[in-house]
Amino acid sequence: MMSTNMTTKKPTSSTPASVLKNLGEVRAMIKRHKLNDYLFSLIGLLALSLALLTLMTLFMDLVIDGYQRFNLDFFSNFPSRRAGSAGLLSAWVGSALVMLVTFIVAVPMGVAAGLYLEEYAPKNWFSDLIEINVTNLAGVPSIVYGLLALGLFVYILGLGQSILTAGLTLGLLILPIVIVSTRESIRAIPTAIREAAYAVGATKWQVVYDHVLKYSYGGILTGVIIGMARALGETAPIITIGALTFIAFLPPSPVSDVAPFINFEWLSSGFTVLPIQMFNWLSRPDHAFHINAAATGAIIILLTLLMNGTAIYLRYKIRKNIKW
Amino acid sequence: MINPTTPIKAESRDLNFFYNGGNHALKSVNMPLYENKITALIGPSGCGKSTFLRCFNRMHDLYPGNKYQGQIVMHPDNTNILEHGVDPIEVRMRISMVFQKPNPFPKSIYENVAYGLRVRGESNKRQLDDKVEEALKGAALWNEVKDRLQDLAFNLSGGQQQRLCIARALATDPEIMLFDEPTSALDPIATANIEELMSELKQKLTILVVTHNMQQAARVSDYTAYMYLGELMEYDDTNTIFTRPSRKETEDYITGKFG
Amino acid sequence: MQSEHIFKQYDAELEAVRAKVLEMGALVEQQIVDSLDALVHNNQKLAKSVIKKDHLVNNLEVQVDEDCSHIIARRQPTAGDLRMVLMMIKTITDLERIGDEAAKIARFALKAAESSQKLTPRFVEIKAMANTARDMLHMALDAFARSDATKVIEIAHMDEEVDEQYQAAIRQLITFMLEDPRTISISLEVLFIAKAVERIGDHAKNISEYVVYMVKGKDVRHISMEEMEETAKD
Repeated sequence: MMSTNMTTKKPTSSTPASVLKNLGEVRAMIKRHKLNDYLFSLIGLLALSLALLTLMTLFMDLVIDGYQRFNLDFFSNFPSRRAGSAGLLSAWVGSALVMLVTFIVAVPMGVAAGLYLEEYAPKNWFSDLIEINVTNLAGVPSIVYGLLALGLFVYILGLGQSILTAGLTLGLLILPIVIVSTRESIRAIPTAIREAAYAVGATKWQVVYDHVLKYSYGGILTGVIIGMARALGETAPIITIGALTFIAFLPPSPVSDVAPFINFEWLSSGFTVLPIQMFNWLSRPDHAFHINAAATGAIIILLTLLMNGTAIYLRYKIRKNIKW
Repeated sequence: MINPTTPIKAESRDLNFFYNGGNHALKSVNMPLYENKITALIGPSGCGKSTFLRCFNRMHDLYPGNKYQGQIVMHPDNTNILEHGVDPIEVRMRISMVFQKPNPFPKSIYENVAYGLRVRGESNKRQLDDKVEEALKGAALWNEVKDRLQDLAFNLSGGQQQRLCIARALATDPEIMLFDEPTSALDPIATANIEELMSELKQKLTILVVTHNMQQAARVSDYTAYMYLGELMEYDDTNTIFTRPSRKETEDYITGKFG
Repeated sequence: MQSEHIFKQYDAELEAVRAKVLEMGALVEQQIVDSLDALVHNNQKLAKSVIKKDHLVNNLEVQVDEDCSHIIARRQPTAGDLRMVLMMIKTITDLERIGDEAAKIARFALKAAESSQKLTPRFVEIKAMANTARDMLHMALDAFARSDATKVIEIAHMDEEVDEQYQAAIRQLITFMLEDPRTISISLEVLFIAKAVERIGDHAKNISEYVVYMVKGKDVRHISMEEMEETAKD
């Protein structure tokens, strides 16, 4: 009935002409505002491509300079006086071992500290002070860490200019990053989830272990990987503690085929790492070595990209199952 | 009128509550919860109804600086659950809670329901299976999820998630169940399902529900309390509150002249 | 009404009130039958019981009113549910009035039996009319129980019949009174009873119209017979 009525008696609008004139003005105004949108997106795009372009140019430059050294020999040769047969073996093995120590030092300490600050520490002026300090530590120049390590680890504790010292130093360096990212990902867990766990009668530790850690490890892992990527490229603190620049031997292997299969001699061994090797080659007058340095630089950038990419992928994959 | 012989499951006696910073959120609230009945708390935002509800499972203990005064006594054992010697965890094992927004854990449907039992140290697979099934049936969710218990809880719809949260709260056989605006994030049909579920649950346990929605209080509850500025203004059976409240403040609130 | 509410308690509440309305209807119907029986057969005991039972009818009215107000306050009925609740509130008013008319008839019966006047033949004349009115009530209640909107036309026709019988009874009574002034007081009594029966018919018709409102959502009060037929057939 309603619909038939509608078709037989079509109501006509009686909008006054002044309103229609206004509509024209409104449309002109919307057009002007839309222009601003367009302008800003153009500026943003320009800024972004400029930054990306610079990075790409740098990377491409390194690749073009060093691509002739991208072969197996480059990775399996020790450094040499002859640029053509010099390789990265001792550097990448050293980097890998230092990273291992860094990881073992920074992750448990950082996660535990972050957890404590977020879940257990009472909220007062003292915890505020700690918080400010942790955030500040992340911004301390890495050379300062190097000086600290030289004094503390090398001289006072007598650990020498070893892999252990380097690992501990870099561990300290990325500790604030791990702590901050742990706290951030713990904070991302909604109060409601925590309360839900408490409401069914869970204790604090049950809540932390069953929920807080489980739901935040994706974020923590991301922070750890990003921290490690930074540690991989660090040069200054390693040089400060006195890493060798020319090494033609490998540290003792951490695993062996005789019992107890694992040994810790490698910890006290001398070493070098990728950025130092690069620095060393760069400081030589012979242009051939500069090619090696460029190749190493490209490799470091690639490794960093790879690690950051892994971090992004892991974060995406773990977050996929968590929606809040 | 409330029949004076109705058995009481728990009651607050002269309950005062202070938030960290001194905000006096509850003022001498004396209110019984009747056994196997649904009691609804209504009142404008900030009137203290959620604060009151959260006293019952000591949720306020999670945040430092909050202070209770007075008692909440549970029957028949006459335990004052606010007493210092009583561990909040013990209280939460007897009184469970359903929250405003569905808040399942990012775990499987099964693990969500089983969590309360795991916390209590239950690890026998068969026991857990039985209890999970019973709780999901009790929350009217079993038929919808029985073939996908290992699916993530987040894949359920909002209404199903809330029923899952009810199942989680139900699995541990609580004596009292607290509902803190359980349907404010749900559509009308899911809301009706939850309300129907609540009136089925009261056969087994005592329910206290906070709601912003007066009509919801009218629909589901046996008794209704009107709170204002931390005080209990009027408490009576729901028919009386909604047809002839004795205080003008209550009348103004439920007729929409204030609040 | 056909399908269930998600909230089962609501169904139970609506059903309980409906049952009470039907119970009240059955009681009122019995009251009419009994009061007329008492009148025709000079049965004082029956007349007394009808008068006594009127408070049961009144009690049911109060109860249903209370229940309906609780349903409105707590369930916020809409559409069909709302129409049913509104319809029941109105129906019980009519039923209560019918109850009053039955009690009125019973009181006449009691008075007549006490004065032991020869009234009986007069009452036999309105018995047919009373039967039609009672049938109307029965049909209206049946229509309510079955949610049947089609009965309204038949009931409306019966109401016209009752009205005609009432007019005829008045004409007849006037003739009696003109012939023999000594019958005036008795005739007046009979007239009042006839009026009461006619009112019962009106109330029954009202109830059947509420049923149409409940089922179809259309108001068929105060409209012509043709319009009503059209509505009921839709």
